[in-house]
Amino acid sequence: MDDRPRNGRLNGRIRTAAVLWGLVASFAILAAAFARNPWGRPAPREAIPLVDPAFLSTATNRRSYADLVRAKEDLSDYDCYACHEKGKPPTLRFDEHQNLVIPPEHADIVMGHGEHGRNNNCFNCHNENNLELLQSRDGRVLKFQDSPQLCGSCHGPTYEDWEAGAHGRISGFWNRTLGLIKRQDCVNCHNPHSPTFQGRKPAPGPHPLRPPATPVRAGPVH
Amino acid sequence: MSFPDPQPHPAVPPAADVSRRSFLRTSAVLTAGLAALASSLRPLFEMDDFPSAERFMQKYYKELTPEEMAKVLRRIEGEVEKQYGIRPHVRDLRPMDGVEFVYALNLTRCIGCRKCVHACVQENNQSRDPEIQYIRVLRMPHGSLDIDKAEHNYAPESVPEKGYFYMPVQCQQCRNPPCVKVCPVHATWQETDGITVIDYDWCIGCRYCEAACPYWARHFNFAKPAIPKDRLNPEMAYLGNRPRLQGVMEKCHFCIQRTRAGRYPACLEVCPAGARKFGNILDPNSEVSYILRTKRVFIQLKEELGTSPRFFYYFDV
Repeated sequence: MDDRPRNGRLNGRIRTAAVLWGLVASFAILAAAFARNPWGRPAPREAIPLVDPAFLSTATNRRSYADLVRAKEDLSDYDCYACHEKGKPPTLRFDEHQNLVIPPEHADIVMGHGEHGRNNNCFNCHNENNLELLQSRDGRVLKFQDSPQLCGSCHGPTYEDWEAGAHGRISGFWNRTLGLIKRQDCVNCHNPHSPTFQGRKPAPGPHPLRPPATPVRAGPVH
Repeated sequence: MSFPDPQPHPAVPPAADVSRRSFLRTSAVLTAGLAALASSLRPLFEMDDFPSAERFMQKYYKELTPEEMAKVLRRIEGEVEKQYGIRPHVRDLRPMDGVEFVYALNLTRCIGCRKCVHACVQENNQSRDPEIQYIRVLRMPHGSLDIDKAEHNYAPESVPEKGYFYMPVQCQQCRNPPCVKVCPVHATWQETDGITVIDYDWCIGCRYCEAACPYWARHFNFAKPAIPKDRLNPEMAYLGNRPRLQGVMEKCHFCIQRTRAGRYPACLEVCPAGARKFGNILDPNSEVSYILRTKRVFIQLKEELGTSPRFFYYFDV
């Protein structure tokens, strides 16, 4: 009867000591493990590659005649009378489907102005009497530098948007009191002979950090 | 069941009670405990960029006097130079009078090339690894505007793809911004020109704003941002593109370092399709005024939420 409380206290003490020492030992093991790092660090994941600087370029697709003049560059491509004869309008040849036959000297030209394929006469835009000039459908004779006016003679609403700055590329200053706005000409982006934009490779998307679990959906989403 | 000894223990045991055994035991426990504590603090010792006292004690943006701001800007320039080896030009640009910025994006023209995403990263000194991008380009099937059907991991050989249109989404600079409402420390607010800005030195990184934003526009620096030295843009603004710290939020600020100096944002200038338009809506002659007046302005994204974005999507014709 007398012994029971003492034994109880003794058992309690032993238990406390065991728990304490157990804790100390586990802490010591953990401390050693953290300090020595026996498992090593997890393998670093693959670095995200830097984007190709080509995607950062603000250059336009093409350079207009006006750009070449401004930069005082080689204009020999526009020297029509190096080959053509002055005062003699070149003759155009068409195949049986009324498609323009492009002579081998102009093989770089791809005719594709308009989905209908009927805008296939060089002299819809070029002036046959002076090849170094352009002519609009309403009879104006224009210089190569003034080509937007030629485009505008057919594409009126787009021309209006362009004049207002709502169509086409702009850069520089939105605040005209602090600096100049630079507005690109139609032919800086569109090839006048086939103005539709060509497809291009997209810049890389957000890095998934791991291989995607399911392949990126290629077909239409339903 | 027996109750413990009812005898009360003495509050302070007399010195004679410290036996050799209990002394050794206590010191062993203490040593082990201290060792564990020290090893758990290891990352602290590995830290090499402790904030300077100046940075630690810095005041809130709105409380800084012009002299204090000048000092802060010099300090930031020094810190950036120390880290990247390039002396940047850091400015504190304030909103202009009579200016409210609006962005308009032509969904007819966007071809989904993602050049804007990367021009933005380059201009605004975002972390490259881990990656932070302010613009997310969504690819959506024609005939719907259901964000659930959007895909931003598209990777075809060539864009645009048949049957899809593309919708870049970035901070919409809301008139009624939910992110500002939830910030517990007022580290983000709307300026008079409509740009919602962040004081990176005041942000506590709680990410409430990230949760509040319905446009996924806010991004958190989970790790220390990594910017290659040769890709650092040295033209910086305090509320704009100065390098951020780990643990703070960031987002699109309409290229504050450019637009408050009168220039166009970087994403606009790089767009090969001319789909992006930006300007002062209070100026009736600006491009954005013309667009909102004459174009079919289709949506403000998620306009039913009442956030009233300053970012408009429109179509030609």
